[in-house]
Amino acid sequence: MAERTVKLCSLKEAIDQIPDGSRIILGGFSIYQRPMAAVHELIRAGKKNLTIIGSTNTIELDMLVGAGCVSRVETSYVGLEKFGLAKNFRRAMQAGKIEIEYYSEMLAWDRFRADREGMEFWTVDFLGGSDILTYNDKIVPFKSPISGKQLYAVPAAKADFALIHAYAGDKYGNIQHQEKVLMPQTIDFDIARGCDNTIVTVERLLKDEEVAAGNQRTIIPAFKTRAVSHVPYGSHPTPTLGVTKMAEACFRSYAQAAESEGAFNAYLEKYVFGTNSFEEYMELVRSEFSEKLEV
Amino acid sequence: MRCSIEEIICADLAHTIKDGEVGFTGLATGKAAALYITNIPVAAMRLAQLTHAPNLTISLCGWTHNPDWSKLKSMPDAEFEQDILDLPSEAQMIGYPGLWSHRRGDISFGFSSGVQFDKDGNLNSVCIGDINAPKVQLPGPILVTEHFAWFGREYVMMPHHEKRVFVEKVDYVAGVGYPGGVEGRKKLGLAGEGPKYIYTPKCVFSFDDEGKLFVRSIHPGITKEELIESTGFDLGDLSEVPVTPEPTDEELRIIREVIDPEGMLLKIFH
Repeated sequence: MAERTVKLCSLKEAIDQIPDGSRIILGGFSIYQRPMAAVHELIRAGKKNLTIIGSTNTIELDMLVGAGCVSRVETSYVGLEKFGLAKNFRRAMQAGKIEIEYYSEMLAWDRFRADREGMEFWTVDFLGGSDILTYNDKIVPFKSPISGKQLYAVPAAKADFALIHAYAGDKYGNIQHQEKVLMPQTIDFDIARGCDNTIVTVERLLKDEEVAAGNQRTIIPAFKTRAVSHVPYGSHPTPTLGVTKMAEACFRSYAQAAESEGAFNAYLEKYVFGTNSFEEYMELVRSEFSEKLEV
Repeated sequence: MRCSIEEIICADLAHTIKDGEVGFTGLATGKAAALYITNIPVAAMRLAQLTHAPNLTISLCGWTHNPDWSKLKSMPDAEFEQDILDLPSEAQMIGYPGLWSHRRGDISFGFSSGVQFDKDGNLNSVCIGDINAPKVQLPGPILVTEHFAWFGREYVMMPHHEKRVFVEKVDYVAGVGYPGGVEGRKKLGLAGEGPKYIYTPKCVFSFDDEGKLFVRSIHPGITKEELIESTGFDLGDLSEVPVTPEPTDEELRIIREVIDPEGMLLKIFH
């Protein structure tokens, strides 16, 4: 009898499957549950000319921009929320190095909903007068065939890859969420359902009987997952709800490093290129920062 | 003065809230931004709820309804972390769209901010200069576009009243006001009323029935010259503009003893 495919692999093996120039969605929302281990791996692998598509983007995008991996961004927000502005992104934008396509926050999410429904666009009615429309020729105005009302077709995100950090999963790629979820988790459900190549890092690796016990918490079924890697603390310094807290001191040290190109390059050399895996990175930050990460 | 500018804005804003409405507030960070975008709105909504609007629904961070404020020992500084998740409330919205639908008109009013606001009521939170290589890159449109388009009305909360903030024309229209007046706005097909009250440390702006901006009141202690000097567009005739009223004794008591006894909302600068 043929064996069932095991999708569990090292993060390096998973990220190696992503070609330069890919369109990528990084899961999570704002400063919450971002796939930071995957971001480190993209940087270590020296990926180039990536397009990052998001609803709100923070450290995961800023780090990739600072490392020179990104040529294009489609999003509503790039900043570090309470940790300040995203300075790598700001420098790159002000130097004209990044192509930008703005969507507002829920509009950006609508693009994932279009993919989820297998539609080439999502319809909205609220963009009249905004500069989102002025500077984005991918959004196409049309009249409602029913009422004649002015509507706008917003293109689906059409990502080549989605990278998500999740609560738990098994070796076949069944991904489960934590007991309680919020928007930074539920956006991942829409992202994963709308993408053919979803790579997931998980906090916990589940046994078969554990998957069965929580089968209503499976939000990405095995057949939708391309690869799964077991990476505890994989969202660090952003939190994973119910598992880890925001690593405040580490996050602040990132924001400080991002203030200048020189300091940021030193940060990358030390924490990303200076470590071979996220596990090594975690050992390093735990030796430097005493903050308790577990919820 | 018997009260602070923050308390004056809080009470004035509370008076504009009607019973039965649904108010939506995000969580801003940084002292001045947090004070104007989150703390004053929360205090004002609480004051309305405890006086004339018992049926007001307060949506904290846009996702947790009517939280138990007595359990909140300090204002949270992150929207989706454990402390707000664990805060007792009537409802939590865990996805988008969720329990309430912005696009159905469920939100009566919201609060937003930006770096430029113009006399047509447009708000910019995206960039200064050319969008492809801006002089100053800012965070982006975020939810401002949705606020200005869908919410019943919008409160624009501006912690700094300076010439470079209140301008003739914003560099990027993230939130759409009244280009071409109320008629112009109607032609754009926007469902919400748009920006209605603009609170600054110096004054309150509003828009009349035709969508024209006017100074609704000037805060105590601020001169008309000072206001003109710090605004980048013509304010028109200010001779009849009243002073922003102070809260009543009872309102002040509720703010200080019931809503904000620890000073976590309105006293972060004092």
